[in-house]
Amino acid sequence: MTASAGSIYAKPMAPRIVLRPALASVLLHALILAAVTVNWSDSSREVIRVKPAPRIINARLVDASEFQPKPKPVAKPAPKPKAAPKPAPKPAPKPAPKPKPQPKPAPKPAPKPAPAAKPKPAAPAPKPAPKPAPEQPRLSQEELAALTRADLARAVAEEGEELAAATAQEMSASYAALIQQTVINYWSRPPSARNGMETELSIQLIPTGEVVSVSIVKSSGNSAFDSSAVNAVQKAGSFPELQNLPSGEFERTFRRFRLLFRPEDLRY
Amino acid sequence: MEEQLSLIDLVLHASFTVQLVMGLLLLASMLSWYMIVQRSIYFRNAHDEMYEFEERFWSGIDLSRLYREGTESISEGHAILGMESIFRAGFKEFSRLAQQADMDSEALVEGSRRAMRVAMMREEERLERHLAFLASVGSTSPYIGLFGTVWGIMHSFRGLANATQATLATVAPGISEALVATAMGLFAAIPAVLAYNRLAARVEVFSNRYDTFVDEFSGILYRQAYALRARAKKAGAASGG
Repeated sequence: MTASAGSIYAKPMAPRIVLRPALASVLLHALILAAVTVNWSDSSREVIRVKPAPRIINARLVDASEFQPKPKPVAKPAPKPKAAPKPAPKPAPKPAPKPKPQPKPAPKPAPKPAPAAKPKPAAPAPKPAPKPAPEQPRLSQEELAALTRADLARAVAEEGEELAAATAQEMSASYAALIQQTVINYWSRPPSARNGMETELSIQLIPTGEVVSVSIVKSSGNSAFDSSAVNAVQKAGSFPELQNLPSGEFERTFRRFRLLFRPEDLRY
Repeated sequence: MEEQLSLIDLVLHASFTVQLVMGLLLLASMLSWYMIVQRSIYFRNAHDEMYEFEERFWSGIDLSRLYREGTESISEGHAILGMESIFRAGFKEFSRLAQQADMDSEALVEGSRRAMRVAMMREEERLERHLAFLASVGSTSPYIGLFGTVWGIMHSFRGLANATQATLATVAPGISEALVATAMGLFAAIPAVLAYNRLAARVEVFSNRYDTFVDEFSGILYRQAYALRARAKKAGAASGG
């Protein structure tokens, strides 16, 4: 066989089909990538809508950080109790008074607004709070409960960064508020609870923030109410945020402190 | 916003191995699509040419003229593929053998048949080119993707081991990005498998057509060979007598 052009052994001069398939392939992948990317971001937008909770938490976080400046005025009364173990408990509950003013404006129009709504009024409330609060510490449970423990922890952590220069007293005041919120979250009052009841607990902590012992210092006279307060502290179990507190401050304020339980926000 | 986990971010933040796997799969997918398109264009052309040639072949045209036309088109730079190249191989062999007077008709046809077989093999080889690649992409890319996923999940769980607080949020992005690898593997594999099956079936159709053509053409060559030899014998008898 001569190696003529027509030989079957000649190198195939097949029309080289390169450009079209290459273009088609690249185009297809670009299209699919674009489609997938667009769909993906659409779905993630939906997810954001589905998760309004984190945003609300963030908003509360801001509120909580606004709380923290308050402790400054609160902290001033605090040092006095520190000197004497008994007065000490009062400072701890004192952060609570701040919330009190909040209930006052809120309850008038609607006695029991939803807990979520309460934190918002809380922001303006704190300013007036210190004035009336120091003398009458009240636990407005529902409002405080609305502030979740995690938010407070974060708020406290943020505070720790921001107020590195802040005094230890201010810090301990805000940690007192934190403890209070945490306990209130776990507190389920018995139906027999009435305004005016007061239970004072003595709580002992170790530096890791764990509750070592809880005892009733002053009973309200209603054993169900008393035990609900004790249960609340025991359920809270530990306040790991206290580990961030300087040990000297911990020893002075939180090694042993008192907590006052008072259902002031009840209507009966 | 951390919720905005776009696909691009997932790919960019994946670990190196997973990224490698993803790149491999993307390459495989692009190549396999290139081959799918290229093969379908080639097959369509071959199909058209086959019908065109069959039509001319059975139109009663003189075979030597058909052969000459093919030679002309080759000299013009056209490539002759498929059935026509089988015809040309067979016809060329036949005419060459026919010039040797001592060849009997059986050997003539046998020789050209052999030449046609060879040409047919070459054509089939040409048709099947790239199909093996599609087959291997189809069968292995899910495994490659799975490897990427397993690796990515291993990675994210190893990260979890060091975390004091195990939340879904710590593992979820890792698993998500790892699963992208499996998705890509399947994305590459499914079209490749489908195309492979379809193209293999078409190759089968082509080779059956070629086979049939070889048989038909051998029949024609048989007739011609007998006629040729009979004429030669007559002529030999006439000259001898």
